[in-house]
Amino acid sequence: MVTETPIGKIRSDDDPRVLLDEQIGSFEPVPPYPPRTERESEFYTLGDGEMFLNMGPQHPSTHGVLRVVLKISGENVVDLDPVLGYLHRGVEKLCENSDYHHIISQVDPLEYVSSLFCEWSPVMAFEKLLDVEVPRRAEYIRVLTGELLRVASHALFQGWMALDLGGLTPILYSFIERDEIVEMLASITGQRMLFNYFRIGGVNGDVNHEFMSRLGDWMSRAAKQHETSIGLLNENEIFVRRMRDIGRLDRDLALRMAVTGPNLRAAGVPYDLRRAHPYSVYPELEFDIPVRGTGPEGGDALDRYLLRLEEVKQSLRIIDQCLHNMPDGPVMAKLPRLLRPRPGRAWAAIEGPRGLYGTYAISDGTDQPFRMKIHDPSFVHLQLVVQLMRGNLIADTMAVMASLDPIMGGVDK
Amino acid sequence: MSALTRPWNNLTLVGKVILPLLFLVLVVGPIVTVLAAVYVAPLVVDILASNLGIVRFVVAITAILLFSIPAAFIIIYMELKVIAYMNTRVGPNRVGPGGSLHSVVAGLKVLLKEDFTPTSADAIVFTWAPVFVFLTAVMTFLVLPFGPGLYAQDLNIGLLYLFAVGGMTVVGLLIAGWSSFNKYSLLGGLRSAAQVVSYEIPLTLSVVGLILLAGTMSLNQIAENQSGGFWNWYVFRQPLGALIFFIAATAEANRTPFDLTEADSEIVAGFATEYSGMRFGFLFFAEYVNVFIISGLLTTLFFGAWNAPVPFPHIELSLDPGSLGIMLLILLAVVPLILTLLFALPFWLTQSRMPGWQALILGFLAFNVVAVGAVLGLAYVGFDWFAGLVWFMIKSFLFVFLFVWMRGTLPRVRIDHLMGFAWKWLLPASLLNLFITAIAIVVLKSTVIP
Repeated sequence: MVTETPIGKIRSDDDPRVLLDEQIGSFEPVPPYPPRTERESEFYTLGDGEMFLNMGPQHPSTHGVLRVVLKISGENVVDLDPVLGYLHRGVEKLCENSDYHHIISQVDPLEYVSSLFCEWSPVMAFEKLLDVEVPRRAEYIRVLTGELLRVASHALFQGWMALDLGGLTPILYSFIERDEIVEMLASITGQRMLFNYFRIGGVNGDVNHEFMSRLGDWMSRAAKQHETSIGLLNENEIFVRRMRDIGRLDRDLALRMAVTGPNLRAAGVPYDLRRAHPYSVYPELEFDIPVRGTGPEGGDALDRYLLRLEEVKQSLRIIDQCLHNMPDGPVMAKLPRLLRPRPGRAWAAIEGPRGLYGTYAISDGTDQPFRMKIHDPSFVHLQLVVQLMRGNLIADTMAVMASLDPIMGGVDK
Repeated sequence: MSALTRPWNNLTLVGKVILPLLFLVLVVGPIVTVLAAVYVAPLVVDILASNLGIVRFVVAITAILLFSIPAAFIIIYMELKVIAYMNTRVGPNRVGPGGSLHSVVAGLKVLLKEDFTPTSADAIVFTWAPVFVFLTAVMTFLVLPFGPGLYAQDLNIGLLYLFAVGGMTVVGLLIAGWSSFNKYSLLGGLRSAAQVVSYEIPLTLSVVGLILLAGTMSLNQIAENQSGGFWNWYVFRQPLGALIFFIAATAEANRTPFDLTEADSEIVAGFATEYSGMRFGFLFFAEYVNVFIISGLLTTLFFGAWNAPVPFPHIELSLDPGSLGIMLLILLAVVPLILTLLFALPFWLTQSRMPGWQALILGFLAFNVVAVGAVLGLAYVGFDWFAGLVWFMIKSFLFVFLFVWMRGTLPRVRIDHLMGFAWKWLLPASLLNLFITAIAIVVLKSTVIP
């Protein structure tokens, strides 16, 4: 029995081999349904000399499970269509069915390379709902650990960037740097990756001796290590030439597409939540906001790369100040075990290594939030790939994608 | 009858196979050998002697084929280990001492894996493409002189042959990419075609200046021209040519930073995406054989081939062990024993806790090291070809190390930069090199040399 399906003829129900005569069409990455939008029907019709190239979800350099359908003409990318959802787990719904303490462990794996920032914004939103005062020492510890993880995340970004451009070595040096920080955090949180450390009203446990000694050891050579990793790559002519003038993001487009974080600052907008809407103890700390790409053309992939390196230096400054200014006191506010906030709604946003991490929570007076919306910067930035990569070469697709630094766990939620 | 059949029936199946074989080997074997030595051998020797060229060629081909696999194994292991240390990793360390047998086991694994052909692939072309790639890689070995007299064939158009055969690799890569029925493979094949064809021109032009200088295209002759010390090497007379050759050869062999054909972060594995099993193994080996060939070529053309940097004073060894007569046998029996005891003595004396047998084993090992060292040293002094081979290998593997080093440190160039570099920079530079060389030769010949 031969069945007609949108992807070709299927021989029979128990023998799902595609008929050989029909195979050419059936291997194309075209969705198995009629086009739903004008854009879709326009994208999935091939012009002269064009072909589809399905990249992902199993591809070495799509940062996880992103799938991009490229429409290529030779080496040139004519158009592209990102397809999401391969890592969707329904985290928001899971959060709405967990009580407030459990939510922290639910949102933890969203961004697996900087999970503290995923905990930070829900925790802040719930604190607003509950009207809790967080002890100052806890705030300092949050900033300290957060900035440490920002350094780790940017170090990893540098490695991925080089790996996607074909350099094998830097990623391993990045992992050394990240490993030191992660081990350090593991000594107070007990985890290396999904820390589950922030609590509503404070943090889970004070910093200990091991953490402080590791941190002091690391701080004594962090600046030098950073200079080394800059020297490894930034003077490499091939590396710089491959990133210059690709994926230009100008001010208007960045603002229109709601870009945040380093990608926005590399487009010439000096917007940093730590200064624009200060939270935690950031108003007390001294640090600069590096901006690049202030010209009319905006910033390219190289600007985004260099800006992150400058941010690392600022993070090191913040860590240094945190160590010197950290007050004594408790690290946890006094709270009942079962939290039942008054009905209401709260929005909290923080500045993560990739941009704005926000949480919008609605409480209906029970011990579970009625609605919880998580805003993830990677998802927002992934919208840009169509605008930034159109007209580039296939090799540039990887460079632009790496320079936007998306984490698929946060995109698909 | 049963007295004979009972033991036969008691044998296992293996025994029933081995027993007749044993009979054949012990009884029939010697008889056949003796008959062959008496009646057939003179005929064979006559035939071989009258076709010495062909015999030499066949032996050389066999040696090259046998050499290419271990050479690839060594380079693969070297790459794994060197890049691992550059990456602050340990690298392979499980099989053999220091993981040195890793690539052998990897080769075995490749042999045992499923050899998969995609349903829609052009099966015949898909099968023969890796063979073609490997064959062209190995064929270039033919004219490469490994030492004085150590070459398969001394073609008078050796360089031309090399570029002609080396350029054919691209056909193999292209048909491998085309026949796989995979868009990544297709892109890889097309990239390799564009890249190899572009870089073939500066590669060939960069050595034309050298050909003018040497006055020959025979690699053997070029190697001999550079004898006498490192100041005679062509790299000092053709520095620009050597540089262009190095860059273009890197691109020809698809090595980093020009490894666009198998850019793993862009097009998965390029033309090799759909290959598995030994067919992938052939593509993989060919890549490393190519690395050795461009290293060997760099050595031969620009870095003095088999010649030592500073010529070793020639010593005529007048060793004639046969004149010792029966004493030779006695020495062969006694000297190892005495030396073993002699080397064991310090171990035994200094570490008095060590049992005597352990000291003896250590002494025996020390004697072996000394003996092998002495034999190699005598071979180096006594045989030109051995000294040449040693120097050729040292220089070649230094260049192999350079290629591995580049792979560990450099990112990949983009296709438009790659093509632009070939046509806008390398081609004019190689023409300039040729022009300057030609003028210099004409001027020098008319003035300095009468």
